[in-house]
Order: sequence, then C-alpha cells, then structure tokens
Amino acid sequence: MKCPMEGREGNEVLLAYIGGRLDRPYSAMLEEHIQSCSGCREFTEGQASVWKALDAWEAEPVSTDFDRRLYVRIDREVSVWDVILRPFRPLLVRQGLPIAAAAAVVLMAGFLMERPAGMLPVSTQPTSAAVERVAPDQAEQTLQDMEMMRELNRLVHPDADSKI
Amino acid sequence: MEERVKTGMGAAAAALDYDAELMLRVKEGDGASFGVLLDKHRSSVVHFLQRMVQNQAVAEELAQEVFLRVYRSRSTYEPTAKFTTWLFRIATHLALNALRDGKNERAQERLDDDSAEQPVRQVSDRLPTVEQTLVYQARLDEVRRAVAALPEKQRAAVLMHKYEEMEYSQIAKVLSCSESAVKSLLFRAYETLRARLAHMA
Repeated sequence: MKCPMEGREGNEVLLAYIGGRLDRPYSAMLEEHIQSCSGCREFTEGQASVWKALDAWEAEPVSTDFDRRLYVRIDREVSVWDVILRPFRPLLVRQGLPIAAAAAVVLMAGFLMERPAGMLPVSTQPTSAAVERVAPDQAEQTLQDMEMMRELNRLVHPDADSKI
Repeated sequence: MEERVKTGMGAAAAALDYDAELMLRVKEGDGASFGVLLDKHRSSVVHFLQRMVQNQAVAEELAQEVFLRVYRSRSTYEPTAKFTTWLFRIATHLALNALRDGKNERAQERLDDDSAEQPVRQVSDRLPTVEQTLVYQARLDEVRRAVAALPEKQRAAVLMHKYEEMEYSQIAKVLSCSESAVKSLLFRAYETLRARLAHMA
C-alpha cells in the first residue's frame, strides 16, 4: 500500500482512520501499513491521544426546563393574530387554493344564473355620453326631410296613411 | 478518499429530507413538528455551544436563541441546504458573537475558579476515589483549556468534526469557507492539540 503521507490527502486519511470514519477493508489495509511506517505510526499515535483526551470531555446534560423556557419565549413573540389564526393556518396553507377556486366558481355560477340568457351586455358608458350634440338648423332640415318622405309615401301608398 | 469514507449517505439523505420536511411543516403552522426538531437537535446544539463558550448558562441561552431564530424564520424557510448546516451556522454565528462580546470571560472565570463545583463524573463502574476525581478534573480542565486556546474558527471546526461527526463539506458550509480551508483549519487545530495533550495518553 502506498503511504498516505506521500499523497495530498495523507492527514485527512489518517484523521478519518482515527475517527473510525473509513470503511472496514480500507481501514484494515491502513492498519497494516501503519505498523510498518514510522511516520504514519507517529501521526496516528499522537492523534489517537488527542482523540482520547477529547473523548473525556463529556458535555453537561441540558437543563430539564430548557423547552419550557424556549416555549415561553416563543409564546411571548407570537402575536394575537397568530394565536387566532393558528388553528386555521394548515387549512389555509394546504387547502387555501382549492377553497378559493371553489368559491370563485360558486360566485361565477350565481352571477350567471341571475342574468337572463341572451341578454346583451350592459354598456358601461353613461347614457348621456351616447347623445350627440345636434345643431338647431340641422334638426330643422331633418324634420323637413322627414315631412317630405311622409308626403312621398302618401302619394305612393294612399291607403297606408291610416296605418301610419 | 471520498469513496473510502463511510458517509452513510442513505441515512444522511433521509435525515436531510426528514428535517427539511419537518421544517416545512413548521412553516405551514405545525407546532408539533417544531417540537420534533427541537427534540432531535437540542442536545447537539447545546453541547456544541457548551464546548464553544465553555459556560453552561451562556450555552443554553445561546441555544434558546438558535431555536428561537429557527422558529422566527419558519415563514421564509426554504430547504436550500441541509437543516443541520443551517442550524449550526446560526449556532456558530451566535457563539462567535458571544465570544467576541466577552461572554467567554465568564467561562474563563469558571475555568479558573469553579472547577471544584463541576459535577463529579464516574470514571469507572465503581465509585471514584478522591484522587481519581481530582485527576479526572485536572485532565478535563487541561482539555478545556487547550480547546479554548484555539482560534475561534479552528475551535468550531474541531468541535463539529470531533463531536458532531460532520463531513468537511458540511463544516465548510457552516463556516462559509472552502473544504480545503476546513482541512487546513482542522490540521492546524489538531497539531496544536497534539502538542498540548499528547502527554495525556
């Protein structure tokens, strides 16, 4: 086996070996090499002693009221609205879109059912805007034209007068 | 090298998905999922912070802040990185700030003055003798001093590598540096520790 110290990742390999992070076959191969290589042996022995020393440093147990204190802090931060909306939040987040879509469909259906079929869309333009301004002489001319047309009609259909 | 290291990727990927899934549930308002995340990561965060600042009260205060920040960020959470990477990034950031703010002074005071008040640990199945206890405390203090003397980033890297068993890539993400920088940090840190602690073997 090639000495790991000769490669770029020599320290990394030996650290992984000490930490028990190498797979078993490679670890066994390395162990065999370490027995015959003084450089690797010196490094691993030194590192093993550091590892052992660090292993002795056990952490203190976490306080039993850690969670309680944390939740008190969390509750203090949560607003009144959060409290009110909390039970509905999963519903709003998970099913909000389908509910909104269903509500939109119901509203649209109700709107269409109320409107008679074939009804022309109501103009949104104000009525006054549709009335054109007409000059008085133009109106007089129009009335005269209409009178003339009526006279012509009477001459062509004398019996139609009563119908008009 | 990469393929030689036992990464347990299957379990890691599953853990990634599970933690991220839990956090996404928290985002949707599921408080119980936050409780599961807290249960799962409480000890590792508190212990990491204990070893970083070397003061139980400060460590717990900081750990509370870590989980509070996680909870506060729930609405904007996106699973772009492994959950524990995010968690330890917050924890490391808070620990480094606390150390720079001088909260570690209390830790040093405790190291100097309160060693006798540390809880007595059993070093074997039998009750330890007074001498054994004293030897154990002396060794423990020596380890703590050696770790405390490391530069902050080296200390964080060693604690994540040794006690949290994090990969180089994850430590790099937590510390916002390259993997090669992490390897260099760890190598220098372990060299320093070896010089200080080798006699304890």
